[in-house]
Amino acid sequence: MNDLKRIMLAGEGGQGVQSVAMILSEASYKAGKQVMYIPNFGVEQRGGVSVAFMQISSKDPIGSPKFDDADIIVALSDRAVSRVKMFVNPGTIYVYDSAISDEARKELPAKDEVAELVEISAHEIANTELHVRVFNVIIMGAVLGLTDMVPEEDIKAALEKKFAKKFEADPSLRDMNYTALRKGMELVK
Amino acid sequence: MATKPIEKDTNVFVTGNEVVAWAALAADAQIMYGYPITPQNEIMHYWTRLAPKYERRFLQTEDELSAGFTTCGGVMTGTRAFTATAGPGTILMQEPITMAEMMRIPLVVVVQQRGGPSTATVIYSQQEVNLCCYGGNGEGFRVVYSTAGHQDLYDYTIKAFNTAWKYQIPTIVLGDGYQAKMREAVTMYDPASRGIEMEPTKAFVGAEGCPGVDREPRFYRNTYNTEEELLDVVGDLKAHYDSFKDEVVEYEDSDIDDAEIIVVGHGVVSRACKEAVKALRQAGYKVGYFRPITLRPFPQKQLAAAAEGKKAILAVESALGQMKRLITDGLYGMTVPIEEYFKPGKGVSSQELVEKVKSMLD
Repeated sequence: MNDLKRIMLAGEGGQGVQSVAMILSEASYKAGKQVMYIPNFGVEQRGGVSVAFMQISSKDPIGSPKFDDADIIVALSDRAVSRVKMFVNPGTIYVYDSAISDEARKELPAKDEVAELVEISAHEIANTELHVRVFNVIIMGAVLGLTDMVPEEDIKAALEKKFAKKFEADPSLRDMNYTALRKGMELVK
Repeated sequence: MATKPIEKDTNVFVTGNEVVAWAALAADAQIMYGYPITPQNEIMHYWTRLAPKYERRFLQTEDELSAGFTTCGGVMTGTRAFTATAGPGTILMQEPITMAEMMRIPLVVVVQQRGGPSTATVIYSQQEVNLCCYGGNGEGFRVVYSTAGHQDLYDYTIKAFNTAWKYQIPTIVLGDGYQAKMREAVTMYDPASRGIEMEPTKAFVGAEGCPGVDREPRFYRNTYNTEEELLDVVGDLKAHYDSFKDEVVEYEDSDIDDAEIIVVGHGVVSRACKEAVKALRQAGYKVGYFRPITLRPFPQKQLAAAAEGKKAILAVESALGQMKRLITDGLYGMTVPIEEYFKPGKGVSSQELVEKVKSMLD
């Protein structure tokens, strides 16, 4: 069986979309999956919507780097909602952050146009309960929860590697990151 | 002496640009000459980071003309050298490449295609096929390998040096912005561990002794005085090219025998073609797959044999028919129709190809 998952993450520059994709794809690769990750990029150095295209499968090698229909879409800003529109299909699990504007909400797919429409309050949780800097770790948790392809332990190992020095200097950061990861996973359960 | 960059097989998850830098190191390239242009910049970045550790060198030039000519110069001293470029840089690179054709300089160029015409996008396309195969004021005496992903980038970058030095022919590794920037798994290895011996390099200039007295003089010319002289020279270049082209030509195919339609794509697009053919076969459609790996020389005989008696060929590319032109030229005289699926500057997915082929057969 081909369990290929095509995942699209879209947000504003600085929201950490590419680091989430990078950590997730590296962890999936280390867990023995077939993985492809490509960031979108343009001539602009900043100011564009940042999009990450990821594909993970247990067995089959990955075909083309980009795709037309996404199985999972995570849209984190108003502009991201417009940017991902053409990748939505009836099988899509569509996740968006509750902090988007009413204007952007009008652009969301209708409930019956997608497999699932999930609102998560990652922005709010990061700002009120945790720290603004773990916003992307909450998102990582959400994607992890939705794909169910990479063990949580592998992601934690990837975080340990990425933030080794910071965790050593302040162990409470480790707890905060792990809490954020868990919160993210719970948000999509 | 510095150790070998890759001692034993190493599995990594990296970008294609990083793969190219490592492959050039593993191939024992001694120097890269280059000028920055997206999306090949990181080849230079990784090379400059890695080169000092392995006693290799780098020269940044003032443009691509200069990068190409300095690479030719490095090669003429007997140094395994290369450059990399993209888009408008590939245009400027034509003049050094044609000099390499004329003087049979083993120039190696890695091209990561971006959108065109002009500056267009820095992202991706397959619009540099014309340029890479036939872009100069000449006859396209080059070898062009079109890669489909990271393992290819590694394998063919190494191979490009050997093809270039063995046959004394400018050799191009034709990638694209997707391959440059995407991350996927690749196995890097020491070429010797695969039985690959690097072709020895030899200096064109600086030989011992007095020319004409101690030894035959060597003439490396790109300028000729008479039409007759040039006619002979180009005839010799053609005879040389024809002498090795069958050895160099490469392709990949599957599911040809009972196929009604053959899907043809090169480079990264061939991945979508392969995936689509697999899905269509599973759904009971009689479809085959053909991928030219060398675009120059083009696997003309092999494609003609595959196309014989088929209902149609579907030419798929991220350009408006640059590969298709190679196909029509190669299949001249055959009556098999060639359908087009062209998306200049845009990626092609297997999903859309499945739909396209179904529409042709249903």
